[in-house]
Amino acid sequence: MNVIVCYKVVPEEQDISILPDRTLSLDKVEWKIGQYDLNAVEAGVQIVEKIGGKVSALSVGAKHLDNSKLIKDILSRGPQDLYLVVDNQLGEADTYQTAVSLAEAINKIGTFDLIICGEGSSDLYAQQVGPQLGELLGLPVVNAVSKIESDGNKVIVERTLESEIEVLEITLPAVLCVTTDINLPRIPTMKHILAASKKPVTKWTIAELGIEVGVKPTKIISTLAPQKAERQGIIIEGDSEEAVQKLFNYLCKEIL
Amino acid sequence: MSALKDIWVLSEKPEMLAELCAGARFLGSNVTALVIGKEEEAEKASKSGADKVYWLGEITGDRIFEDYTDTIYDLITKENPELFLFGASKRVKLIAGRLAARLRTSVLTDIIELKVEGYDLQAKRLVYGGLAVRTEMSTSQTVLALVGRGVFTAPKDYGFQGNIYRISSDKVESSVKWLEKRVKSGESVDLTAAKKVIGVGRGLKRQEDLQLIYDLAKTLNAEVACSRPLAEGLNWLPRERYIGVSGAVIKPDLYFAIGISGQVQHMVGVNQARTIVAINSDKTAPIFAQADYGLVGDLYKVLPLLIEMCSEAK
Repeated sequence: MNVIVCYKVVPEEQDISILPDRTLSLDKVEWKIGQYDLNAVEAGVQIVEKIGGKVSALSVGAKHLDNSKLIKDILSRGPQDLYLVVDNQLGEADTYQTAVSLAEAINKIGTFDLIICGEGSSDLYAQQVGPQLGELLGLPVVNAVSKIESDGNKVIVERTLESEIEVLEITLPAVLCVTTDINLPRIPTMKHILAASKKPVTKWTIAELGIEVGVKPTKIISTLAPQKAERQGIIIEGDSEEAVQKLFNYLCKEIL
Repeated sequence: MSALKDIWVLSEKPEMLAELCAGARFLGSNVTALVIGKEEEAEKASKSGADKVYWLGEITGDRIFEDYTDTIYDLITKENPELFLFGASKRVKLIAGRLAARLRTSVLTDIIELKVEGYDLQAKRLVYGGLAVRTEMSTSQTVLALVGRGVFTAPKDYGFQGNIYRISSDKVESSVKWLEKRVKSGESVDLTAAKKVIGVGRGLKRQEDLQLIYDLAKTLNAEVACSRPLAEGLNWLPRERYIGVSGAVIKPDLYFAIGISGQVQHMVGVNQARTIVAINSDKTAPIFAQADYGLVGDLYKVLPLLIEMCSEAK
């Protein structure tokens, strides 16, 4: 089975600074692989370990994607090769533009049976790229997938929905978006990290893929840290009966 | 700007649909509800503030909710509504994404506020794990917007009833075949409906100590929730009970944080609570800067005393 796993490179949240005017600065951020995409990578690697085949990793984005540390990181997690669409026009891409770029790259890669995405990116978490990608490729697409069993040219998947587990049989090729419950992504060993630098990496620009990114269908008006709610800020120190009595009195005043 | 004209709504759940209809009535003049399900649901929708109900029929045989995407797409291209509000659930998110791809656009997702500003329809959502609120708008002909519970409030009664139109939706050959459905283990809980919520975090040392939390919850008549590590990783509580940016976002009268440090990813889920009370042994925990009342102390000493006081007061 040929599997393509998609991932996004996202800013480390702890490095994002909030400026006095409540805007955010990403100037000093380290970039990392999206947390929920690690489950997609692991899911692909597990299928291929079980039934044979190949896992390729794919990502699209601005120049921070083309970073040797991140390339090594993704390849040390099991994929045999990597495809990147690196273009600064994709820096502020919305979900539609991202899905279009991924679809063009996948068409260029050519052979695949299964495409796996995470449930959402860990920075924006719109949970839309997978569904859009499936539709653009004209393939069946299912989200909330918490189990995948391969069965010839089909997969049997379980979906964890709000109030039920649904079991579906999907004829390949298909696009699946997997939940964080599906597996526990492995930690790469030194051997895997060393092997990663020998794996092939293919880089394209959007011009090379002939992608028309076009006018972005969504427009960002502002991104601001929320205004802090006014709170009383009454703090009692200590856990004596007297202190607890004080807390209880406040609680009574508020709710009882 | 004059109000929008045609607004469509779709949801899996009737309660959510009623909220969406209320939002749609506020934003526009002509509300159409799309209903996939039993005839009673279509009738209910017609009394929930929709001027028109397009009833796509009951889901039969091995079809699933998402199989109606083609029919919905055909309706959109025929009638071009200006705004389509979707009640955020896994299935509806999938439908919205697929429709967006065909309409060559993106969906405005996880909206916490939607309003008309000048000539624009602006949506707010949380980004970067709750660190910031993004205000954005869509330039597409039909704006697709995913909205969660509690963004709009449904009134009790409208005093009018919309017309129901039956829309036929033929089964198309699909490579997705429904096999079976299983009941999800564990209870289902709607934290957004609770007036009082107790949140427990890593300050709790052992799973069996949850009994202390349950005892307090009982005396306060509160629901029990938790921070992410307790639901994902430790698995002490089901995912439905986890509060935070990718979990529940609640607006209770009281949020009582016990052993919760107060990371931004958690606090975005509760910072609209009317009153926040916190117990934590770490004086420097960020929760204290965001609480109305805080106690710096050992929860294992505080809770038994507090439970006793609360039960006596009852």
